[in-house]
Amino acid sequence: MNLLEVTELSKNYPTFKLKNVSFQVPEGQIIGLIGVNGAGKTTILKALLNLIPVDHGNVRMFEQVFLENELACKQKTGVVLGGIDFYKEKKVKDITEVTKRFYEDWDEAAYQKFLTLFSLESNKKIKELSAGMKVKYLIALALSHQAKLFIFDEPTSGLDPVSRDELIEIFLQIVKNGDKSILFSTHITSDLEKCADGIVYIKEGELVQAAPKGEFIDHFQKLKEPDETEALSLEDIMVRMEGKHYDF
Amino acid sequence: MISNLLYKEVRLAAHPNLFIFTLMGPLVLIPGYPYTMVFIFGLIGNFINLMYTRENNDIYYSALLPLKRSEIVLGKWLVLLVSQLLTIVVSIPFAFLRLQLVSRPNPVGIEANIAFYGFGLMIFACFNLIFLTSYFQTVYKVGTSFLKGLIPATFVAIVVEVLTHFPTLSWLDAVTFDGQIKQLPILAAGILIYSIAMWRAYKISVRRFSQVNL
Repeated sequence: MNLLEVTELSKNYPTFKLKNVSFQVPEGQIIGLIGVNGAGKTTILKALLNLIPVDHGNVRMFEQVFLENELACKQKTGVVLGGIDFYKEKKVKDITEVTKRFYEDWDEAAYQKFLTLFSLESNKKIKELSAGMKVKYLIALALSHQAKLFIFDEPTSGLDPVSRDELIEIFLQIVKNGDKSILFSTHITSDLEKCADGIVYIKEGELVQAAPKGEFIDHFQKLKEPDETEALSLEDIMVRMEGKHYDF
Repeated sequence: MISNLLYKEVRLAAHPNLFIFTLMGPLVLIPGYPYTMVFIFGLIGNFINLMYTRENNDIYYSALLPLKRSEIVLGKWLVLLVSQLLTIVVSIPFAFLRLQLVSRPNPVGIEANIAFYGFGLMIFACFNLIFLTSYFQTVYKVGTSFLKGLIPATFVAIVVEVLTHFPTLSWLDAVTFDGQIKQLPILAAGILIYSIAMWRAYKISVRRFSQVNL
């Protein structure tokens, strides 16, 4: 079963176009959305959550049309778009107190467990949390309202290697039972090497390739130079696909 | 859902000045003062509140909750409605108190009577329709939206204050029981105009907000 199916998503901005992007997120998998800065990763994530109205395309979440079942779908979705940039002066406990009222399946015991597990202090203000802690707080909220689909926008960007590794470990824990999935955008391809099951590659608003990780890497081995013997990594693939040559 | 929306607005989104400017009713105790300022202060409170909302990215936070876009509009609409009705309700006891404490009429403009509250609702109506619909066109141009709404609302307030100085319209300034009974049509017109404006403000805001890229 696919927890998310995106079909021919299109959005026109005056200076940028998202063109007929389609991909799926199967149950129990981590799917990485990759592309350089400005490729359209955040636009895709926002479009599929109706944060930006799309010009064309369909989003099905939990086998339902998202726009027709927006509330039910959002009840089961945990979203982390670029850390927390709201209510920085408010305390963690205040935001939780408000947020939990909107979720039917809020599990207070689970929330308290994740606070302890992630070493989060509920009396701290959001601005006092480190970048990694902010992501962990939002994950704790999502896990406490029993989210099945997690959508992260560059959750590991700006984090130190230890925090990044810790987050990857959390991602793997989230999907280990096979009933939850993660879609996360990143340009740090080494994170995907460690945890992703599938890759969706976006370039200048267009889908280049969406496939299981192994198949994806095999597909791009054609970019190898004749004298190269080692297989290309995800980073090599991106650099070769996107790299520019300057001659001053 | 409405209680959750209001809880969010009060617990997270509301700026303290919203409460202060909502509770300006005691100004009607000042012996000589343009009492329509009670309503204008209410508008300023809501302006500061939406500025604070924007600085805290409340709309973004709300959009990630299990809420429809129309419910996000409803939250802000409810804040306008509740704060403005509260402004009126809080000021009424002070309007009665003024009659007991101050015997001289207000030399500046309209008395705190039934017509005053009718005109107050018209000031609110005029502001809300322009301010809210303009704000939800972008959800960041709060200052421009406020100015667009404030200018006509202030114009109505000035007209109200001036009207009472015309001898033929002195009945608008009456504070006697019989005199205020004659002002009931003004209050009814205020309620009607406010209701229509709020209904339109909600509908237009929902339509405009549905097209906004967050």
